[in-house]
Amino acid sequence: MQLQDKHRIAILSAYALALHGFESLLPTPIPWLKLGLANIITLVALVLYGFRTALMVTLIRVVLASIFIGTFLGPAFILSTGGGLASVVAMGLSIKYFNKVFGTVGLSLIGALFHNIAQLSLAYYFFIQRIEAVLIISPVILLIGSLTGIVNGIISDILIKNLLKKDTGKLQNVLHKIT
Amino acid sequence: MMMLKTYYCFFLFICLLLGSCSSNKLSTYRKSRALMDTFVTVTVVADSQEAADKAIEWAFEVIGKYGNLINFFSDTSELSAINRSAGIHEVRVSPETLDTIDRAVFVSEKSGGAFDPTIGPEIKLWDFIKKVKPSDLEIRSNLPLVNYKNIVIDKGKSTVFLKKKNMLLDLGGIAKGYAADLAVQALKQKGIASGLVAIAGDIKAFGLKPDNKPWVVGIKNPRQKSSDDEIIAKVSLSDKAISTSGDYERYFIMDGQRFHHLLVPATGQPANSCQSVSVIADKGVMTDGFDNAIFILGPEKGLELAREMGLDAMIIDAEGTIHTTPGLQGKLIIERNH
Amino acid sequence: MKETIRNTTLADRLLFLFLVSLSVAGIFLARDALSQGSDVIIEVDGKPAYTLPLNVSRLLSVDGPYGPTVVEIEGGKVRVKETHCRNQICVREGWVSRGVIVCLPNKLVIMVGGGNKRQEQGIDAITG
Repeated sequence: MQLQDKHRIAILSAYALALHGFESLLPTPIPWLKLGLANIITLVALVLYGFRTALMVTLIRVVLASIFIGTFLGPAFILSTGGGLASVVAMGLSIKYFNKVFGTVGLSLIGALFHNIAQLSLAYYFFIQRIEAVLIISPVILLIGSLTGIVNGIISDILIKNLLKKDTGKLQNVLHKIT
Repeated sequence: MMMLKTYYCFFLFICLLLGSCSSNKLSTYRKSRALMDTFVTVTVVADSQEAADKAIEWAFEVIGKYGNLINFFSDTSELSAINRSAGIHEVRVSPETLDTIDRAVFVSEKSGGAFDPTIGPEIKLWDFIKKVKPSDLEIRSNLPLVNYKNIVIDKGKSTVFLKKKNMLLDLGGIAKGYAADLAVQALKQKGIASGLVAIAGDIKAFGLKPDNKPWVVGIKNPRQKSSDDEIIAKVSLSDKAISTSGDYERYFIMDGQRFHHLLVPATGQPANSCQSVSVIADKGVMTDGFDNAIFILGPEKGLELAREMGLDAMIIDAEGTIHTTPGLQGKLIIERNH
Repeated sequence: MKETIRNTTLADRLLFLFLVSLSVAGIFLARDALSQGSDVIIEVDGKPAYTLPLNVSRLLSVDGPYGPTVVEIEGGKVRVKETHCRNQICVREGWVSRGVIVCLPNKLVIMVGGGNKRQEQGIDAITG
């Protein structure tokens, strides 16, 4: 991996961590309301720099965040990792096989969807054995996920466009249609 | 324009999808009613509330009509007509009444008199609500009236005759099971493929639930102390009936002794070798009659009778020990603390 | 931001619509499943006459062939406070938090919640 890539990953991970940390400071009256701001970084990385970069950024963010907060290898870590992985893989596959079908917002929705599905499944399998409880809260979680997915998607899109404006050389590297 | 059309079609598609999800799905419907002087619950698996209601109402009607035929406490029932004419003349009865009495005699014969529907005169001496216990003299003097062999059934004329005056036929120990059989038949007539009829504790289940699992029936703990303690065992039933006789259904305690309604026909005294007996068989009329008989006979002879008749039984004896027929091994789930 | 919204593809919008409708439908379904809470259902002559929540204290008088039956709900339990029928079996039942109280002469059936616990144990009926 080139030094440039490593720098990129490091910086992106830093941003992702920062966003994650910022988000955890926000007061949450509703327990399942996760804004998933760090996913913006993942999505931007995916679109501009490719799957590998996005994957690394996600993994680094999830692991470091859990170490800092102190939940490493705990249940929260399992859920974060599962969700993050599912999300980035789903988005990556969508870009690869459905290249001009979804826009940034759509990708963000897909990422959010698979993130939630993975988390709900993991939560059921490992922690909450009662399927009724999981089935009852999943619609709410999916709804919230869809809404935050839209918002994150819009923000990601703006970021991507701004970053592209700054460096027109990157146009060739952009893996999917956004204009 | 293309955009709008696409959206519209998509929207319709979603509605269709969501709409079709609810109908044509098999669900369980349940209704209860007070019939035959007890609490009856009918549960069916159907694809709509309407279909379920029709079937359940028909089952209730059938149970109600049958209940009126064999009601011991009603002056207008066929059973009362038979009792009034005891020692006088025979009485013409409906096929269901005749069949019930015939089955009752069958159970009496096979159990060597441990079950005897002519126990009426003895039962009448007791009042479990007002705690009235008859004297030994009263009990003894009515014993000659208790003998199922004095029931004369003429199938050709469809009549029943009680030979001795003052004999009283009481079908309470077998009628609910018979009614459950009738009710299940009624449900099947209305196209129901799976359901459960519970007439108090006499239950018949047929078919499988929507999740393709059999119906599960809980057996009451005869010495229940708290609401967590209600069920002592669970059993899965596919196309089987189950009935239970227990010393806790109608009883009172006097001077530390329990007096209950399951009287030994030979002595007129409450049987004391069991706390409860549950019998499983293909038909409700068999389970209802034989659970009484096995209760009276006690664990050893009771299990023998069960084996002979090809029934499964779970006996909780006077000390609380559970005995079962070998056929129940693996099908019975006994709750944790027992 | 407006530009971004205009730039969303058809697939984007359809996906959003689909997810939102699915989750909203799911919420209603979940709400139905949950609303089988604790109610007191009073049936007269086989027909539901009253449905009342178990958690609201009150007295209710139900008419029947043998006179009025006074039903009392308090502290999450129900009882038949008074009747004019002979045996008073229903009154003697006392307070019930789940299960059934029956007054046969008055053709009155009082059913309390109860379905939940039984369903948890996976039991469809009880014999005995």
